[in-house]
Amino acid sequence: MRSVSRRFGETVALDGVDFEARPGEIHALLGANGAGKTTLMRILAGLDRPDTGTVEVFGQRIENFEPGPIRALGVALVQQHFTLVPTLTASENLVLARPEGALLPPGRTAGVRVQKLVEQFGLEVRDGVPASQLSVGERQRLEILRALDADAKILLLDEPTAVLTDVEAERLLGVARALADQGRALVVITHRLAEVEACDRVTVLREGIEAISDGAVDGYTRADLASAMIGTDTSGTITARTSRRTQAAPVCLRVRDVSLGRVSSLSLDVGEGEIVGIAGVDGNGQSELEAALSGRSAAESGEVSISGEPIAPGDPRSRRGQGLAYIPSDRYSWGLIGPMDLADNLELGRVLPIRPNRPARHKAARPSLDHWDVRTAGPHARTSSLSGGNAQKLVLARELDEHPSAVLACYPTRGLDPEAADTVATRLVAAAEAGCAVLWIGAELDELLAVSDRIEVLYDGTLFGPYLPPFDRAAIGLAMAGDAADRARSATGGEAGPP
Amino acid sequence: MTSSETRQPTSGTTPSPESTWPPKLDGWLDAVARRATAEGILSSILVPVVSALAALLVGGVLIAIDGVNPLSVYHAILQGVFTKSRGFSYTATVATPLVLIGVGYALAYRARVFTIGGEGQYLVGAVAGTAVVTAGGIGDLPRVVLIVIGLGAAIVAGALWGGLAGVLANRFGASIVISTLMLSFIGDSLLQWAVRDGIRDPESYNANSRPITAAALPSFFGQKTHLGFLFALVLVPIAWWLIRRHRWGFRIDALGHNPGTLDANEFSSARVTLSVLVVAGGLAGLAGMVETTGVNIRLGQEASVGYGWDAIIVALIGRLHPVGVLIAGLGMAGLTIGFESAQRQFELPSSLVSLITAFVIIFVVWGDAIAARWKETR
Repeated sequence: MRSVSRRFGETVALDGVDFEARPGEIHALLGANGAGKTTLMRILAGLDRPDTGTVEVFGQRIENFEPGPIRALGVALVQQHFTLVPTLTASENLVLARPEGALLPPGRTAGVRVQKLVEQFGLEVRDGVPASQLSVGERQRLEILRALDADAKILLLDEPTAVLTDVEAERLLGVARALADQGRALVVITHRLAEVEACDRVTVLREGIEAISDGAVDGYTRADLASAMIGTDTSGTITARTSRRTQAAPVCLRVRDVSLGRVSSLSLDVGEGEIVGIAGVDGNGQSELEAALSGRSAAESGEVSISGEPIAPGDPRSRRGQGLAYIPSDRYSWGLIGPMDLADNLELGRVLPIRPNRPARHKAARPSLDHWDVRTAGPHARTSSLSGGNAQKLVLARELDEHPSAVLACYPTRGLDPEAADTVATRLVAAAEAGCAVLWIGAELDELLAVSDRIEVLYDGTLFGPYLPPFDRAAIGLAMAGDAADRARSATGGEAGPP
Repeated sequence: MTSSETRQPTSGTTPSPESTWPPKLDGWLDAVARRATAEGILSSILVPVVSALAALLVGGVLIAIDGVNPLSVYHAILQGVFTKSRGFSYTATVATPLVLIGVGYALAYRARVFTIGGEGQYLVGAVAGTAVVTAGGIGDLPRVVLIVIGLGAAIVAGALWGGLAGVLANRFGASIVISTLMLSFIGDSLLQWAVRDGIRDPESYNANSRPITAAALPSFFGQKTHLGFLFALVLVPIAWWLIRRHRWGFRIDALGHNPGTLDANEFSSARVTLSVLVVAGGLAGLAGMVETTGVNIRLGQEASVGYGWDAIIVALIGRLHPVGVLIAGLGMAGLTIGFESAQRQFELPSSLVSLITAFVIIFVVWGDAIAARWKETR
C-alpha cells in the first residue's frame, strides 16, 4: 500500500500511509483508538476504498475496491466483530462462505471439510453446534478457518486477542507463527505491546500517520513503541488547566470493589473538586465501568456511593437526587431523545407528576439553554436537529444545572469539533473548581493530561496508577499498552500496582 | 475506534452487529407505529381520510361487480346511520368497545409496546365481571353497587391479563406480540370453560351464564346506547391529558422514542412497559364487561366477536391519538351498522365490511410509507 489516504467528512482517518506485508512474516499494526488501523485493513480487504494512494496485492494493482475480487487474490480479513451466522454450525458456516455447487453438501461431507481444516491448522472448533453456542475463542478460530478454507495468502486479524483470555491469546499467536512459517503474510492489529513482541515487523499509526513505519520489532523497546503510539506533542485542542489541585480533598464519589464483565474488583475515590481521568484503550472495561457507576446496570459485586450514600442501580431519579450527574459516552443512546423537543429533554430525570403546559415548559427551558449556549431555533426544536456539540451542551445543561456533587463524564468530547470540545472541557473544569468531583473517562490522553488532577489507567478491567502531575506521558502510555499489567503479573502473579 | 465510528463522528446510534440478530418480529409494527405518529397534517389527517375514501371506492367497485349500483348502497348506509332513529344509537354502541380498547392500544403503541391482546383481556374481563355479579348472595345488592363491583372486577382481570404479558417480557424477554396473542387464545378458552362449566346457569339449556340483568348498565340516547359510551367519551380527554400533561404520558412517549435514555435518566423502561400493558388490559377488560352488561342479558360462548382485533386497526387509523381513536372507532362502527341494513336491502355478501376495513388499513400503511418517502426527498 502506497501513500494511502482516507477521509470521512472532516475526519482524516489515514494520511498518506505506506504499508507492506511480506510472506512468512507477522506484521504488527499498533495504534490507539481512531489511529486508522481498522480503516487501513478495511481498505486492504476491499471493504472500503482509499481517496488517494495505491494498493497492490502480489504485484497486481487494485482498481476496483470490492471484497469479492480481493478475496479471490487471497486476502482475508478477520474482523473485530464476528461475521458468522449464529444459528448455523461450523461446517454450515464454511459451506455458506464457499459453496460447492448449487446443492448443499450432505452433512458428513461438510463435517469432513471442517475436520480436515482443524487438523491441518491446529485450530480446534466444535462442529455440530450453532455458532452462537461456541465460545468466543472458538468463534474466532472458526473465522480464521473460514479464511484459510478460502486459501488466504494474506491474513488480516483485527484485534484478534481483544476478546480472548491470556492462554487463548498466546495459543493464537502460536498459530499465527505457524501460518507465517507456511509462507503466508499475516497482519495483526493490536494495542498491546506484549503481542507486538511475538511479531516480526511493526508499524505504528497515530492519527492516520505512521509513527513507526515497517520497522523490525527487535529494534524498538516497549517505551519506544508506547511513545510512538500516544505521541509526544502536548498541544491538544483542550485548554490546559493553569492550576491543579494538590492537597487531598474529602472523598465524594467512592467506588469499592466493583465487578462487572471485564471490570474486576475495581476501587477508586474521587475527592471534592478533583478531576480524575481514566485513561485507557477502548474495550478495557470502560463501558462496564460506565454502566456500573451510572447505575444503568447493577454491578455483579461491590458498591458505588456518593457522600456515603450508595447509588441504587436502575433508579436514575434517585441518582440525580443524590447529586451524581451522568454524561453518557453515547449521548444518542443514553442521553437524549431525538424526536422530543429540547424542553422535554431538559426535563428528563425531574419531570413533575403533573407537567405545566407546553408554552410554560418552553419558557422555563429558555434560560438554561441560553446559559449553556445551546444554539437552536428554540426550546420547541427537535433534539435530533442539534449538531453534536449543541447536543452535548444540552446534556451538560441538564446534568450540571443543578450543581451536582459529582459528575461521571464518559468521553464527553467524543465526536465534537475542537471548539465545542474545548467548551465542554472548560465547563467540566469549572464545575470541578466549584467543588464538584469529576470522574472523566476518556480515550484521548492529551485531553486527560490537560484537565486531570490525577490519572488512572484502565487496562483489562483493572486500574493502574495513580499518575500525578506533572504527568509522565511515557509511563502512562506504557500502562495503556499493558506494560504495567504484564510487569505486575510477572512480578508477584497478581499484585497490581503502579510501575 | 472502529471505522464506522470514524465515518460518523457524531452518531452513536450505529447498531452493533449483535443487535441485528435475531431479527425483531415487531420491527415492521415499529415502522407502522412510528409513521402513524409522524407530525404534520399529511400523516395525521390526510392519510387516514384519503385511505378511507379509497377503500370505499374499491368497495364500490366490488359492489358494482356484484351487479348493484354502489351509489345507492352508500346512500342507504348513510341513511342507515344518520337518518334512522336507531342508526346513531347502534353506531355508538358498537363504537364503545372499539374506542375503549383502541385508546389502550394507542397508549401502548405510543410506547412501542406492541400488545395485540385486547381480545383476550376483553373476554377475561367479561368472565370475571360476570362471575362476580352473578355470584350467589350478591344479587340483592343495589344495582349501582353491582355495576361498580362488576366493572371493577373486569378492569382488574383485564389488567392482570395484560400485566402477565408485561411480566413475561420483563423477566424472560418474551415477545409481547407473541405472548399477548397466545394469552388471547387462552382467554377465549377460559370463556368457553366458564360458560359451559364455571359460571354456567344450571337452569339454562344453553351454555351461558346466569342473567346479569341486576347489573345491567342504564341506557340513554334511545333504546340501545348504554352508559359505556359515556365511559368512552370521558376516557378520550383523560387519555389526551395524560399524554400531554402527565408524567406517565411523558414516560410512555420517551419509552417509545428511546428506552435507553429513559432508563438512564428518568425511570425504568421495564416498569413503564408493565404499566402500559396493565392499563391497556384494564381498558379492554372494562370494554368486555361494558359490552356484556350494556348489550347482552347473559354472557355466552359467542361473546368473542373480535372487538379486540378490530380495535388494533382503530388505534392505527386513529394515529395513536385518543381523539383520532374516537373518530376512527365511530367511523368503523358506522360502516358496520350501515352495511348491516344495506346488506339485507341489496343482498350483498356479509364479508364486504371486513373487506373494506382491510383495504382501509392497507391504504393507511401504504399512504404512511408514501408520506414518509415524500418527506425524506423533500
